[in-house]
Amino acid sequence: MEAGASYQRFPKVKVRELKDDYLKFELRDTDASVANALRRVMIAEVPTIAIDLVEIEVNSSVLNDEFIAHRLGLIPLTSERAMSMRFSRDCDACDGDGQCEFCSVEFHLRAKCMTDQTLDVTSKDLISSDHTVVPVDFSDALGGDDSSEQKGITIVKLRRGQELRLRAIARKGIGKDHAKWSPAATVTFMYEPEIHINEDLMETLSLEQRQSWVESSPTKVFEMDPNTEQVVVIDPEAYTYDDEVIKKAEAMGKPGLVEIYAKEDSFIFTVESTGAIKSSQLVVNAIEVLKQKLDAVRLSEDTVEADDQFGELGAHMRGG
Amino acid sequence: MNAPDRYERFVVPEGTKKVSYERDTKIINAASFTIEREDHTIGNILRMQLHRDENVLFAGYKLPHPLQYKIIVRVHTTSQSSPMQAYNQAINDLDKELDHLRNAFETEMAKHSRDY
Ligand SMILES: [Zn+2]
Repeated sequence: MEAGASYQRFPKVKVRELKDDYLKFELRDTDASVANALRRVMIAEVPTIAIDLVEIEVNSSVLNDEFIAHRLGLIPLTSERAMSMRFSRDCDACDGDGQCEFCSVEFHLRAKCMTDQTLDVTSKDLISSDHTVVPVDFSDALGGDDSSEQKGITIVKLRRGQELRLRAIARKGIGKDHAKWSPAATVTFMYEPEIHINEDLMETLSLEQRQSWVESSPTKVFEMDPNTEQVVVIDPEAYTYDDEVIKKAEAMGKPGLVEIYAKEDSFIFTVESTGAIKSSQLVVNAIEVLKQKLDAVRLSEDTVEADDQFGELGAHMRGG
Repeated sequence: MNAPDRYERFVVPEGTKKVSYERDTKIINAASFTIEREDHTIGNILRMQLHRDENVLFAGYKLPHPLQYKIIVRVHTTSQSSPMQAYNQAINDLDKELDHLRNAFETEMAKHSRDY
């Protein structure tokens, strides 16, 4: 009993739009379970690095220590290193305290307001011990021009005399543990819609009827060409499977005016990253993590052996 | 103070098997796989891949309780196969599908970053 027939699929990918923190692509020739597994892994199981331990030396700000520690945890840190880094809990180089170079990155923050001008303490004030792991810089993502918006993520505001001094340890983690480790802002997929207009039936509609049918869709899926007076599909993916145009056709006494199918093996993904890793890397890492998960659920040798023995025993007991 | 560690949700405790296998006592070629520290992500892809196997008569999974971090995959096959064989085949096929997907994605990315 070895090597049965293969039921493997060969999915296809087409990238539509690519930016560092945004990716839109088509995934074809697979099913919703694989698409959904990828989505779930991107959100909850692709590792990143985030601040996990904070030692406050001085805090005379208006926010209490744990409030600041929580805000620090939520700051996205550049995490290209995360896939090859160790989890602190499996690190043997630092007997479990999780503070060595293999499993952690140290940060320092020192800020004191000396003037009457309110001082904004931001993610830019965090000094990292590792230049590859730093707070994400959003300045070019925000479109360059507006320089007032390029000052990092505000942690706390200080007035004259107030001070914040702390040491923080960032560690590798996954979104399943705490959402601060999730590299995904949003990951969604939809079935690709296939829209067929029954042209013969459409011919029987008056101009006003066509116009009101086109307008019955809450999103701009159809349009009436002003010159030819034909109704055309301008954006099938704007369709939200709301059935409004189908109900409208029925209400007009024209059932079957349009037929809309969800292609069950074609998906359109949108991936938005927090900036911790590039959107394209997020997909690659998700595939890798999913492969590792599958490998972990393979049957172990001893499980197979134990069953071989038990199997024979079972056969004896059944009188075989 | 007595809160369980958060990682208990995804780290298999020492001395516990990741996957255990139990034959059905009444039905031949039926068995359950109990997978520790996994959820719908693995459960559903395994189930759907098993459905593609023509020797699989039944494949289903359940997450018995949201605070018990395990899933149970149940498989029933014809006499041409066995639950173990079908299970291994499903994992191999998914693994190869993901290899193919990664190559397809990387080829596509290389094409895109050239004209980007
Ligand atoms: Zn360590």
